[in-house]
Amino acid sequence: MSLDRIPDGLRQAIELDHRAVRPLHPIWLRVMIAVSALAVVLSFVLANASLRADLDELPMWLSWGCSALQLALGVILLGLAVRESVPGAAAPLGAVRLAALLAVGVQLLVGVATAVMSPAIALSGGGLGPGVGCLKHESLLALPAFVVTLGLVFRALPLRAPTAGLLGGGGAAVAADAAIHLMCPMSNLPHVIVWHTGAVLLFMVAGWTAGAAWERLRWSRLS
Amino acid sequence: MAADHRDGEHELIALMVAYQKGDMEAFTGLYDALERPLIRYLWTFVRNQTVAEDLLQDTFLQLHRARRTYTPPRPVRPWVYAITRHVALMHLRSQRRRKEVLPEDGLPDIPVPPEIERLADRATLMRLLGGLPREASEVLILHHLLGVSFEEIGEIMGVAPGTAKVRAHRALKKLRESVGGEGA
Repeated sequence: MSLDRIPDGLRQAIELDHRAVRPLHPIWLRVMIAVSALAVVLSFVLANASLRADLDELPMWLSWGCSALQLALGVILLGLAVRESVPGAAAPLGAVRLAALLAVGVQLLVGVATAVMSPAIALSGGGLGPGVGCLKHESLLALPAFVVTLGLVFRALPLRAPTAGLLGGGGAAVAADAAIHLMCPMSNLPHVIVWHTGAVLLFMVAGWTAGAAWERLRWSRLS
Repeated sequence: MAADHRDGEHELIALMVAYQKGDMEAFTGLYDALERPLIRYLWTFVRNQTVAEDLLQDTFLQLHRARRTYTPPRPVRPWVYAITRHVALMHLRSQRRRKEVLPEDGLPDIPVPPEIERLADRATLMRLLGGLPREASEVLILHHLLGVSFEEIGEIMGVAPGTAKVRAHRALKKLRESVGGEGA
């Protein structure tokens, strides 16, 4: 084995940046870091915020049960996002699509079931004010996990960066919605679809865009 | 072949770990072990050996920059081939943008396994492999010529192992039909 076999340009580039590196932590540990950011925020909010007035009227499966389901789906999406960041470790595209669709679908179904089981509250001014309030709260809850996950993803090498971003955004928002579902008193379907599902989609688009921008930046250096 | 593959993988893991610790000799070892298979794999995308050799340098540069993303004791091959695939796809994307058309040439010299070799003579096989759609020839070359398992192909291409298996089966069927068509 001799260094002479390696083309000059490549050898020089490697010798310029030749140092020991510490491998990334295993995927499960990096997922735990993202989940910890989520857990800290959600437990703080649930411990301090008041829960929805009709919580006792809703069946357990629809209140805490659906929140737990949404939380689990959110964590799965965060895990898939982190997996995307390691070359050769990404989940099959079909599984990724299914998980993302399932997360949005479950969020919508929970909204529909809650609208059926709980009386709607009359919203003044077309519900714009409360809607913006929900969007703001959901965004604040989702933001830490979103930022931490994207940080973990972009510090590695996601080969489908937009997909990783979409999963990170979706996971953080769906998990945040799990808590908002227990707090938001408005079960009107238009409110849920526009402001709650809208928040999930917004975070997915934000993640996708961040991933696309990262990919362009990363690979433009190559050409 | 499976035992060789496992031994080769253990050797690659040891080299990769040493390389992460800053051993330049280990990089040379990786280069020696991976140069030929990667040129063959890159050829399935660009169908031109000169371009494949140029892309090999970009690939090793990317492997170097991303070396901390390899986490031992995971297999090295899926990690390497996934990055290689991405470098090739990025090249094709920029080539499409520039509307570049390069002449295609034959597949670099590869030891062909018996199940493929008995289909036709070597020259015909190489020409027909070059005529297959990219995704078909990619799976075929990875599995039948480079000895990568369907599990690993799934990890490289981001598809389920079953999907990789179906693609390889269809590609082989298409290759057989092409050989039959030539013979008729």
